[in-house]
Amino acid sequence: MSKGKPPLNLIAGIVIISVICVLVMGAPVFTHYNPLEQYPEERLSTLSKAHLLGTDRFGRDIFSRTLYGGRTTLASSFLALVCSLVLGLLIGLTTGMFSGTIFDIIVMRIVDVLMAFPFMVLAMIITALFGTSLMHLLFVVAIIWWVPFARLTRSIVLQVKNETSVAAAKVLGANTRAIIFRELLPKVITPILILATFELGTLILSISALSFLGLGAQPPNPEWGSMLADGRAHFFQAPHVLLGPALFIVLTVLGLNFMGEGLRDYLDPYEIIKL
Amino acid sequence: MCKTVFRRLIGAVITLFCATLVLFIIIRLAPGDPIEIMLGRPGDLAIKNTPAYEARVAELHAQLGLDQDMLTQYGQWLKRLVSLELGTSIHTGREVSIEIAERIPATLMLSLAAILIQLVSGVVFGIISAIRAGKILDHVIRLFCVFFASVPAFVIGLVLLMFFAVTYHIYEISGDANIYRLWLPAITLGLVSAPQLIRMVRANILSELGQTYIVSAISRGLPKKQIMRHALKNAMLPIVTMMALSFTNLIAGSVVIESIFSWPGIGNYAMNSVLLHDYPVIQGYAVIMVSVVIMANLLVELLYMLIDPRLRNRSRLERGLENE
Repeated sequence: MSKGKPPLNLIAGIVIISVICVLVMGAPVFTHYNPLEQYPEERLSTLSKAHLLGTDRFGRDIFSRTLYGGRTTLASSFLALVCSLVLGLLIGLTTGMFSGTIFDIIVMRIVDVLMAFPFMVLAMIITALFGTSLMHLLFVVAIIWWVPFARLTRSIVLQVKNETSVAAAKVLGANTRAIIFRELLPKVITPILILATFELGTLILSISALSFLGLGAQPPNPEWGSMLADGRAHFFQAPHVLLGPALFIVLTVLGLNFMGEGLRDYLDPYEIIKL
Repeated sequence: MCKTVFRRLIGAVITLFCATLVLFIIIRLAPGDPIEIMLGRPGDLAIKNTPAYEARVAELHAQLGLDQDMLTQYGQWLKRLVSLELGTSIHTGREVSIEIAERIPATLMLSLAAILIQLVSGVVFGIISAIRAGKILDHVIRLFCVFFASVPAFVIGLVLLMFFAVTYHIYEISGDANIYRLWLPAITLGLVSAPQLIRMVRANILSELGQTYIVSAISRGLPKKQIMRHALKNAMLPIVTMMALSFTNLIAGSVVIESIFSWPGIGNYAMNSVLLHDYPVIQGYAVIMVSVVIMANLLVELLYMLIDPRLRNRSRLERGLENE
């Protein structure tokens, strides 16, 4: 690990994400419009000083809706990701530690089966059968999104568990739990965190795509994806209706990707050989 | 070699079997009475609350085998799947397998075009970026990658559609799948999926350049071009695996893109069926998609074994270490 000056993209990512978090959490400070209040006389008006990002088809202020909607989008995506991260980490640690046992074989088979279900396809089945809502999408995320974390954790554990430090811990009489949490976990956590920043970006993109198609959060509650779905019919007539939520999604994912790349460069850089 | 191939095949069949079991359980867990759903057509709804309706319900109940136990039901369901009997669409009343088969060419055309765009741009820009690592051109390419990996596919699609179809009338808005309407959705899909490949090609080449055989080639004084050729050959191998992954992503991405460009492929069809609550169609779509993904993964694994002699005779455990 080299700890020098943090790379530019890490700083850029952190700045972007903090700005968005401040805007979203402090929504009442930055806008005085109620995200649900309709002003029919001002419907579909373009960007102006009064309405920074214009108004939607009911005359609701898009800037205010975007800020309040970010709370739902960001909080739910983050929560779903943390759940799958913890689950994936635990499964990866245990299967890696007990690799080759029946438990490992069964879990790896489950991983194989889950990998056969693209997120989009599973989400479509679940929402078709159980009804369209954001909760159902998050449920699908919880079922499926732990897999990449478990796979990464397991592969690292398989490499690391034969190292001398682990052998030394065993000789000193550490039990399995101590080995997992004291020896293996610290080695796994950095790559997992890097993966998590990228995965959170992918997750936000996937959920917004599904919401855009009408499978996610339902109106009138503001949520970035459902705002996109709501504005879709008016896009060619008034393109600004999608600007607000699209801009915030792009900025959030961009910030997360910058952060992920920066973290990777900062925490485990690969050598660049010069010819 | 033969033994490994056989083991992979068995593994794929078991995975497929488990996947259908998962699908069956999801379908059975879903709320709603299957008979009421099946009788949702106007002709059937008209006789509701009459003795004829009751008789029809009882008839369907026996016909669908709902009075048998779950295991028998699963067995029969599986048997129908194998013979590609996916039932009839509630909305149109036609065979689901025929409806889906009609739409496969459109989806195939779109995904092949998109994969081609992704492959060409991914390899070309990946190599440029790796050779120029740390220089301005590399930074530009990487910035481009991060940007296009962060924009939702539908936003790119809508903006392109706005520009080419609404403002400049170059692109025809219709529901047909033909070669003149292919370029815009293909470019959109290619643009969205290229960054991943560019990044991977770049990382592979850079890590290959760190290998000892490259160092020895440098110390023997081989020309730069020749060394690059060696490195490229080895760095390109994992791209085969990558293509399978991106195929899965394309399936997911194509639902959105097909829907925006009203491209008459299976993704668009499935999406519309979700909104129409046409359960047999969604079920058929899911079964087909899952089988396609499993087969694609199997094919790639076998292909990979064929290309890379180092992997031919290894156990799954050892391979697991490197692949991940």
